Amino acid sequence: MATVTIDGRKVEIGEDRTALEAAHAAGVEIPTLCYHPAIDPYGACRLCLVEATLRGRTRMVTSCCYPVREGLEIATDTERVKVARRGVMELLLARAPQSESLRELAAGMGVREPRFPTVTRADHDCILCGLCVSVCSEVMGVAAISFASRGVERVVATPFLKPADSCVGCGACAAVCPVGAIHLQGTDGQVEVSPFNTRLPMTRCEECNAPITGLPFRERLEKELRPELAGALRICDSCKRSRAAAVVKKSSHLNRLAAVSTPAKGE
Amino acid sequence: MSVEHLTCPEDLARLRLQSARQTAEDTVTIAVCMDTCCCAKGAEDVWSAFETAIGIAAERGLHIELKRTACHGLCERGPLVIIAPGDILYQNVKPENVTQIVEETVVGGRVLESLIYEDPETGKKTASPSEIPFYTKQMRLVLRHNGAIDPESIDDYVAVGGYDALAKVLTEMTPEQVIAEVETSGLRGRGGGGFPTARKWRSCRAAEGSPRYIICNGDEGDPGAFMDRSIMEANPHAVIEGMIIGAYAIGSPQGFVYVRNEYPLAVRRVRKAIEDAHEHGLLGDNILGTGFDLDITINRGAGAFVCGESTALMASLEGHPGEPRAKYVHTVEVGLHGKPTCLNNVETWANVPAIISRGGKWFASIGTEGSKGTKVFSLAGKIRNTGLVEVPMGMTLREIVCGIGGGIPDGKRLKAVQTGGPSGGCIPEHLLDTPVDFDQLYDLGSMMGSGGLIVMDEDTCMVNVARYFLTFLREESCGKCTACREGTAQMCDILNRICAGEGREGDVELLLDLCQILEDAALCALGTSAANPVRSTTRYFRDEYDQHIRDHYCPAHDCRGLFSYEIVVEECRGCGACLKECPVEAISGEKRKPHALDQSLCVRCGACFDACSFSAIARVKPRVGSIASAAVQVEGS
Amino acid sequence: MARASVSIDYEGASEAVAAAYGRDPNFVIPMLQDLQREFGYIPSEAAICMARLLGIPLSQLYAVATFYSSLRLTPCGDHVITLCMGTVCYLKGSSKLAARIQASLNVGPGGTTADGRFTFQPVNCLGACGLAPVLVVDDTYFTEVKPIHVPDIIARYARKDGAARDVR
Repeated sequence: MATVTIDGRKVEIGEDRTALEAAHAAGVEIPTLCYHPAIDPYGACRLCLVEATLRGRTRMVTSCCYPVREGLEIATDTERVKVARRGVMELLLARAPQSESLRELAAGMGVREPRFPTVTRADHDCILCGLCVSVCSEVMGVAAISFASRGVERVVATPFLKPADSCVGCGACAAVCPVGAIHLQGTDGQVEVSPFNTRLPMTRCEECNAPITGLPFRERLEKELRPELAGALRICDSCKRSRAAAVVKKSSHLNRLAAVSTPAKGE
Repeated sequence: MSVEHLTCPEDLARLRLQSARQTAEDTVTIAVCMDTCCCAKGAEDVWSAFETAIGIAAERGLHIELKRTACHGLCERGPLVIIAPGDILYQNVKPENVTQIVEETVVGGRVLESLIYEDPETGKKTASPSEIPFYTKQMRLVLRHNGAIDPESIDDYVAVGGYDALAKVLTEMTPEQVIAEVETSGLRGRGGGGFPTARKWRSCRAAEGSPRYIICNGDEGDPGAFMDRSIMEANPHAVIEGMIIGAYAIGSPQGFVYVRNEYPLAVRRVRKAIEDAHEHGLLGDNILGTGFDLDITINRGAGAFVCGESTALMASLEGHPGEPRAKYVHTVEVGLHGKPTCLNNVETWANVPAIISRGGKWFASIGTEGSKGTKVFSLAGKIRNTGLVEVPMGMTLREIVCGIGGGIPDGKRLKAVQTGGPSGGCIPEHLLDTPVDFDQLYDLGSMMGSGGLIVMDEDTCMVNVARYFLTFLREESCGKCTACREGTAQMCDILNRICAGEGREGDVELLLDLCQILEDAALCALGTSAANPVRSTTRYFRDEYDQHIRDHYCPAHDCRGLFSYEIVVEECRGCGACLKECPVEAISGEKRKPHALDQSLCVRCGACFDACSFSAIARVKPRVGSIASAAVQVEGS
Repeated sequence: MARASVSIDYEGASEAVAAAYGRDPNFVIPMLQDLQREFGYIPSEAAICMARLLGIPLSQLYAVATFYSSLRLTPCGDHVITLCMGTVCYLKGSSKLAARIQASLNVGPGGTTADGRFTFQPVNCLGACGLAPVLVVDDTYFTEVKPIHVPDIIARYARKDGAARDVR
């Protein structure tokens, strides 16, 4: 355990944790875009900057990657930090001026319009945070997408820009994207993952036939990853709630909870 | 000749005596420089011509040795040939000179005046490097064997004392004693960072995890820098020996040499050196019978400047794109494959054998308080003597540029010296009495860098220099972090506008704000130091920026469209050359009468200026004529 | 340089290259460089084989192949013109050379001419600054090049039989 000071507040935290986690433990908010608790920190967006002082030396660091040490002092709200974060936010807004999520985050930081014009191209507002790439590779173990090219040409892409053979249609990439650049859509019994130009067969709810997820994902989950979750992807969320509600209704002493409304099937 | 596998230090000593005795006493040695530059100018043809000519001379019973060497230093004057005894340096040697050289000099002992060095100021001719200021003012330690040994012969290296330091280390010193010796020397990293080498070795040795790795960073990406290329091509064994000593000190069984893809000859020479060292038992298992094992692998880059950054280089060695990572945990603790790794620059490793042989105290007696030893620089740009130089730390920039470099050609005025590559800065003429020293250069807003020293004259636009470097960095940015990827792109956009005559009030302030964002928010040194070109040029040449923005004028007459051309009536002979070249017929006039240039038609292309042999076209502040009609193209972007 | 023929053994070529490095994924970059030496570029078919042989995701191979400037995913011309855009070459006019080459060949940076004879590849510093401006065609260096030299250099390589003037 280490004692870390965040904006004057002392916090005890494990030595394997980061400054960002220490800030959360102290109840201090730090803006992030490329951070996700289920994924190894990447340090790409540069929003979570703080001033870190250790053994008399102060420097600007990204709190998501910075390991805590005994005696570490973090300042999250100094002028230098605010100016740097706003500058980064301006650069992001200049890149993707139409993004609602970015504008909202920016407004919270006091940034309305960037001083810079758009000089780089952001497909679908993508800010290259890397969460989709990491979740696909680290968490799902699939690695259907990766970064390609470098610098201002950098994009998230499928190999050779062709539909990804290894994609399982789980939708994790869409779930973690902070700007909503990725979508899974059901069309004609297929799942389409855009903008990755990939289509896969879809699984449907065994009760109401609503689309659930990509068939390869369900198969992978059942056969390789978590067989005990076999049933989880065969029934849609609505039908699961209906089943649960039916069980509740049957219990006499919980009859008053039957007032819980059952969502319409197929939603 | 079969290769001897050396099983003990005595074997090495015997090989030294053998190699030194190879040549008969009355042998004349012809050392031909065969590095990238001299080969580019035809050194291989010169070599073939010598082979033929010597064959004929040898029939007369003469002992002549034709030796491949590398980088004698005066790189612009190649192919270079040194004849010994007599220590005669011939420049710009062509195959057709060879027969005469053999007859007159090799056989007859006479010097050919037409091929020796001529001082551009005084016209004085000098045959021997020991009398040419370019050489005499240098202190060649790392480069001491350049021009004397064949880089592809391990026997040559052994003959001049090579691998002696290694034998001493393996048989007489403990790893801690080796580190202590390097610490006494005060050696700081020569790749740009200037980090104390002994401290890095000690941290790596103390770090948990195994195996430990050592890496030689040969990814010399700074444009204008060729020190490491020259060292690898001229004396690869010095680097290898340094690495083996370092591996022993740190406790590493595996080393890597990472050479950039654009240096094919360096790759070949280092690979051969590793193979030869292996064959001789100086690499591999049980080196010199002492029980120490080390393998060294050579890897090539694939075209990415960012791979000169240590974590990016390691990612590349692991088969990934060269993306840096945060160095909050140092690579000496968690580096290649997550193991403790010590990465040092080519020149750093090459300094190690001499430190062991002659002692850390000796090394520390050279240089300044904070910067010990010597530094190899590649001196290039608007300079008379372009080439590879080595000077003691503490020599002033002016002494290097004027004393060794010979000053600026064509009567032009020295304007600035750029050090540190794209991460460095420009030092103006009035500050050139600053000594070469890590900390003093940093205080001026530049840095030592890897050793590229680029000289600029009055015709260089400093705004364009900043634009050039930012364009470079934008292209080489890995793109991972917002600050660098977007920041360099925004800075390029502003600088492109300024150089195209579209600068706006507030642009410089915006550039400086972007500099601050990069310094505070970028992930790696490529990003944080991307601020330097703009910071240093706005600090010392702010006036040029202001004139570009306010007056749409480039005072250096470099940025196309931002100055006008005018015919100087007093000088014009009416020859018609400019009239002929003008693509828009803006020039008119009769033969032998001063011509006239119509500014309203002129597109400022400069064809007339290039065509005129009488300096009758002047470059002046913009005259009437809209920029829009100048068809300005921003080149290089 | 290999031209498209009836059937190219991408599998065999990839096997051979992978085997030369003990199928060690750490050596992905040298392997891709070897494939490029053989085919003139990295064919997607070969990349797919290689990923399978090494047991790494195809996306990783694609990321590497698109990250590094010297790796190509499309065929290049018979001759590659490499132009140094380093600082010293730039100060001595390499951007004028670039403009002249692009105009003469009607090709952009990184592009290949329509007739497949030339690929134009600007690079960041060849380290031969003493001889600036420098350009290299295949393995032959040309030094202190001026725009007026460009047509002559191109002409040496533009012959139908692909032979260059012997400069050795």
